Amino acid sequence: MTDEAKPEETKSDAKPEEVKSEAAKPEAKPADAKPAAKPAAAAAAKPAEPAAPPVPLEPAKFGQFLKEHGISSERLPDSCGVETIVVAADQLEKAMRLLRNSSEIKLDLLLTVTGVDSADTFDSVYHLWSYSHLDQLVVKVLTKKADVAEGELPAVPSLANFWSAANWHERETYDLVGIRYSSHPYLRRILNPWDWEGHPLRRDYKQLVDALNDKNPHSMR
Amino acid sequence: MATEIQEIDLKTDEMIINMGPQHPATHGVLRLLLTLDGETVKHVEPVLGHLHRAQEWQGQNRTWFQYQALIDRVDYLSGMFTSWAMARACEQLDGVTVPERAEYMRVIVSEMNRITSHLLWLGTYLIDLGAMFGFPFYPFREREKLFDLLEEIAGQRMMFNYIRIGGVLRDPKPAWFDKLKAFLDEFPDRIDEYETIVTQNPIFLKRTKGVGILKQSVATDYGVTGPCLRSSGIDMDLRRTRPYSVYPDLKFDVITFDKEGDTWDRYMARILEMRQCVDIIRQCVEKIPTGDIMGKKQMAGMRIKAGEGFAAVESPRGVLGCYVTSSGGEKAVRFRWRNPSFCNLTILPELLKGCPLSDIMAIFGSIDIILPDVDR
Repeated sequence: MTDEAKPEETKSDAKPEEVKSEAAKPEAKPADAKPAAKPAAAAAAKPAEPAAPPVPLEPAKFGQFLKEHGISSERLPDSCGVETIVVAADQLEKAMRLLRNSSEIKLDLLLTVTGVDSADTFDSVYHLWSYSHLDQLVVKVLTKKADVAEGELPAVPSLANFWSAANWHERETYDLVGIRYSSHPYLRRILNPWDWEGHPLRRDYKQLVDALNDKNPHSMR
Repeated sequence: MATEIQEIDLKTDEMIINMGPQHPATHGVLRLLLTLDGETVKHVEPVLGHLHRAQEWQGQNRTWFQYQALIDRVDYLSGMFTSWAMARACEQLDGVTVPERAEYMRVIVSEMNRITSHLLWLGTYLIDLGAMFGFPFYPFREREKLFDLLEEIAGQRMMFNYIRIGGVLRDPKPAWFDKLKAFLDEFPDRIDEYETIVTQNPIFLKRTKGVGILKQSVATDYGVTGPCLRSSGIDMDLRRTRPYSVYPDLKFDVITFDKEGDTWDRYMARILEMRQCVDIIRQCVEKIPTGDIMGKKQMAGMRIKAGEGFAAVESPRGVLGCYVTSSGGEKAVRFRWRNPSFCNLTILPELLKGCPLSDIMAIFGSIDIILPDVDR
């Protein structure tokens, strides 16, 4: 029994119609409307859809909403039936404000901000829910490792100035994964000690200090 | 000669006081940097991380089977829920079907766990408020009875490792249900006992009524969930709003209050929730079908299909979420926990601003956080 069978099914029922009506409106090739509808329908039965299709997916509900407001986003294969989009870093703040405040979408519960050190990108992942309805959305900001200068941290705009829920999550992501949230009001390590070196969830992380037998005379531990 | 009262404006400097990490009332090790103006709190900065055990790092460096046993320690007062969140996330990815009997068992044991968690909160909260007269032992008496039952099926008192990916570990014997029923018959009277002592106690009312009011706008801005949110009038309970497992088949209401709640309301919400848990467990014991309890073979080299998924359950403290990314191997690529304690603790500076020093513990205790859940 899939636990969230109900919301997923209703969602996947709704999706193909939306995709078709969307495909009628914009300039995008109408022939691709069907491949776009496929993962959504398959998602309820088979959650994992690892093979990324070569054709870019048509925007679904939230992607379309952002598009109407002038924000371009790229749709990834659904993660367990939940719409997943990639937004450019410089448009993140505008997109999040829209998603949170518009009365039709109202994704006003920011569950987590996750940092992931993927093979060639640093991902900042936002899980959005709502207090009042069942929709959910995953927003990702990807920073290519090749674009990050040597010795610097990847930068992503902070949401903490208008969304307090993001504050500690961003501090934690900075602490553990090493993503710098620019314009964060108080970007300081939160779980590790303030003088910790390195970011433990990075793939290339090597522990510099023996945490149990600390020999560093300048340490505050 | 009439005495003249002169009002002198005594100015005090702000003072920074360090509270904790070894303060007995901080439920673990939390350090609060308080900026005080006389007795009034101006600013609070929580300093976390004293219990940081790198649980997310462990998730990437342990096999699925090993990590299952570890995560009960994330929130050791409600271990069933962390197991359940992880199991649900992995089952979604893997497409495992959980047998119905296992789903019912999951609901029974986690509702029992919810009661134990609230009971511990009740006992320690009264200590926080200064009730050192022995009251805390009453809730602990019932808590031990529940732990005896849970130990019988899980093998451990608090670190259960009972809910596994694909089902549950053991099928209890019929006699176990009889013992559980006997407890359920007795427990509502025990709650009445607590309420007789606490609910209308004038000292308790003085300490909690009108203290630490949580506004709805603040709660939604900070992403607060759980009884704190519901006692402030927003009815969001995952068991109802995003029903999972067999909750759709059970009859119960979301406990919400129709105003912005204070500390006393948060107390009352938990008392009502305990009564509701008894009701839910009773329904489950009646309805539980016979059958299999495990839908996936448990073994050390267990694999989960590639993909990423997020699953959440309603823990005693709020929405407990688990975001997991798998590449199809023996270990996860990334484990991420959305811990209700971590998110609910963020409102503490907001709630404490402007309140007297003596209210800090009354407010802090009422949020019901647990530090291993905050620090992971």
